[in-house]
Amino acid sequence: MGLRKKNSVNRRDFLKNVAASAAVMATPAAASPSPASVTGTPGAIPVSAEEELRSLTPVEILTTERTGSDFMVDVIKSLDIEYVCANPGSSFRGLHESIVNYGGNSRPEFITCCHEESSVGMGHGYAKIAGKPLLVMAHGTVGLQHAAMAVYNAYCDRVPIVIIGGNILDATRRISQVEWSHSVQDAASILRDYVKWDDLPISLPHFGESAVRAYKIAMTPPMMPVLLIVDGELQENPVASDATLRVPKLTPTAAPQGDSGAVDEAARLLVAAENPVLIAGRAARTPAGMTYLLELAETLQIPVIDQMDRMNFPTRHPLNQTDRGRELISGADVILGLEVNDFWGALHAFRDQMERTSRPIARADAKTISINSANLSVKSNYQNFQRYAEVDVDIPADAEATLPALTEAVKRRMDAGRKNVFAERRAKLVDAHDQSLQHARDAAAYAWDASPISTARLSAEIWAQIKNEDWSLVSTATFVNRWPHRLWDFDKHHQYIGNAGGYGIGYNAPASVGAALANRKHGRLSVNIQCDGDLMYAPGVLWTAAHHRIPLLTVMHNNRAYHQEVMQVQIMANRHSRGIDRANIGTTLSDPPIDYAKLAQSMGVYGEGPISDPKDLGPAITRAMQVVKRGEPALIDVLTQPR
Amino acid sequence: MTGPTVTMLNTFLIAAVVSAPILGASQNSAAPPGGNAQNGKKVFEKLGCFRCHGSAGEGMPQTGKEAGPPKIASPHLSLQDFVRFVRAPKGQMPPFSAAQVSDDELSDVYAFLQAVASQPKVELPSTANAQNGQRLYSAFGCYECHGLQGQGSTQTGGVRIGPPQIPFSGFVAYVREPASQMPPYTSKVVSEAQLADIYVFLQSRPQAVPSKSIPLLNQ
Repeated sequence: MGLRKKNSVNRRDFLKNVAASAAVMATPAAASPSPASVTGTPGAIPVSAEEELRSLTPVEILTTERTGSDFMVDVIKSLDIEYVCANPGSSFRGLHESIVNYGGNSRPEFITCCHEESSVGMGHGYAKIAGKPLLVMAHGTVGLQHAAMAVYNAYCDRVPIVIIGGNILDATRRISQVEWSHSVQDAASILRDYVKWDDLPISLPHFGESAVRAYKIAMTPPMMPVLLIVDGELQENPVASDATLRVPKLTPTAAPQGDSGAVDEAARLLVAAENPVLIAGRAARTPAGMTYLLELAETLQIPVIDQMDRMNFPTRHPLNQTDRGRELISGADVILGLEVNDFWGALHAFRDQMERTSRPIARADAKTISINSANLSVKSNYQNFQRYAEVDVDIPADAEATLPALTEAVKRRMDAGRKNVFAERRAKLVDAHDQSLQHARDAAAYAWDASPISTARLSAEIWAQIKNEDWSLVSTATFVNRWPHRLWDFDKHHQYIGNAGGYGIGYNAPASVGAALANRKHGRLSVNIQCDGDLMYAPGVLWTAAHHRIPLLTVMHNNRAYHQEVMQVQIMANRHSRGIDRANIGTTLSDPPIDYAKLAQSMGVYGEGPISDPKDLGPAITRAMQVVKRGEPALIDVLTQPR
Repeated sequence: MTGPTVTMLNTFLIAAVVSAPILGASQNSAAPPGGNAQNGKKVFEKLGCFRCHGSAGEGMPQTGKEAGPPKIASPHLSLQDFVRFVRAPKGQMPPFSAAQVSDDELSDVYAFLQAVASQPKVELPSTANAQNGQRLYSAFGCYECHGLQGQGSTQTGGVRIGPPQIPFSGFVAYVREPASQMPPYTSKVVSEAQLADIYVFLQSRPQAVPSKSIPLLNQ
């Protein structure tokens, strides 16, 4: 903070004056005197042609030691932001330069990305491991346009990311066609529907307050991305006076807890219930959330159905009854939903045939309780708020913050009689859990030796080699039939990070790299089961992983198709009785087949495959693990069953 | 219970939930004999009974170590025992509550099953060709949800169908009028002869080795 500006000449003035100087140089009448005329005078101080020229033009001070962007870095550092993900853009060049030079490229460190969607996707995965946001920078126009889908995913997934978009608001300061094309009246408008807050600071003090405010808003449940549009002039102009500049203090914000009366009513219903069920969506934001959820579940001996939007509940805990979800819901008298994104959908069955139909699967007399922070921040345009659920006890609050109070309320209402009932319930659930695990193993045995390789075999081969490591599955498990959750032993919060949130394809590859970046300092083994179609959206993130030495084991689930869409086209073709022989058009990635090992190698990532014989998979994982343990990314291309 | 059968059971539950109308619960005990067989057939189909027991209630012979759904045509149980069993079955069959099907309706189903033995069944032709069935299995996109070996998928909702766990008549009936998310295949798209080829292809799929014999599945 000690460096001060020496002049008030800004970038635009500098450019304007350089242009003026150039014009002077090009004018014959203003040409410099001949060397003879200046050197032939006895006693005169010799001057060069450049010095002579300078004497004819206004004094220009071409450098400054401190700009607005330096102050911005001070603010960013005060937020303890570790990384900034971006591909470079002129509208934030001032901030870029200040980060790498003034800030020493440390906290935040610049992570070179190859697509703005990758930058945001990395921030998405990073936040779910680190528990805090990183910074993304992008052009306010073309950059945010590229970033938009990934921002929407993070918004739907309740993930904090701080985004800075560059812009040049003052039309008279734009110096080229490019800057006109990269300028916009309301840069935030493209994201406003799916960020929690945005601002356009017009002074450095304004930037300081807005940056800290943005961080707090992003980190207050429901967490979401936030956006600051930072003008190029504000970044690049010298700081006028430090007297008015200070970095605002970041103060903690308490997560919103549920109303005490409503929480007590929820406890009353849960204690009295004979067949309660707990559905966990994004319930555990942090490791503490898992602990709280475990305590509540064990206090009530309540079966838990994990929707796997976060790592909520240990997979091998006897109360984890995820595989019996529908059966349990249909018999439940009280249903508790914790941060369940689609509560209505959890209680209904659907059929997508000639007409779309739905039918309740829960008992008509079942009481429902919802604790969901999403109700605290609802927007209109995008419809991810889902269908209206008729909830009996609706608590708009953060579930993790409310769980301790709910558990205490439950304990206050329990008596010896209820404890006995709960103990009996647990005994049945233990048996059911053991059966579910055995059923999963039996099902996995089918097509065990098939080629292409079954997703069950793929998952089991990975598990065999990571189970004794400090591992973290940083990819979605949905597209491999949840086999990891059915076969692996998950018991730590960092072992799973959930899904995209908005179902936007292209999330998984960058999110896995971002999560691996967050895992790196902990020495964890990050594992990514990567769908082929998703990787093809922006495969340049592999280069980012290689460039920044981000250790990540990627195992391709290469079914050579956007398989979900193959099935969608099939549904339409069958509905019209036209056969499905053309369902591959527009949905498959098989002609020519994509060589993902070579794709990885081309970007400096260890690559191996394609592997189609299941016997070859284990040794390939072993080799790739050795690379990852050296601190580098590795990819194995595996030809797999469709799902 | 074994894993594969539970997969089937889960799906059956889904199918039953989706297919079964929410009917008014009957508080009566089992209705007297003499139900309406015609209505019983409708209820039988509506509840999805055919999906396991076949369209004529013929059941499924034991395959490998697994007992298939039993023959229920010409039930030897009394009506009262039949109703009692449907309400609280043993083995893999899911229970059907009075909210899903009334005692009167079960009486009609009972009548249908008594009459059905005399009706023609869909027989698996002896000429069915597994090799052609394998080709058709891919061509008709069955693999998309059920996997290339018929192993099934929880994500798609396609149950394990290799080897089949239901009789051929049930297989045909299900393909024509599937429950849940499966798209229907009309006879315009796939003939019964082609379905027979697919069925015998699925029959040729090996039973899984016991999971306990696979070290990777016991970690």
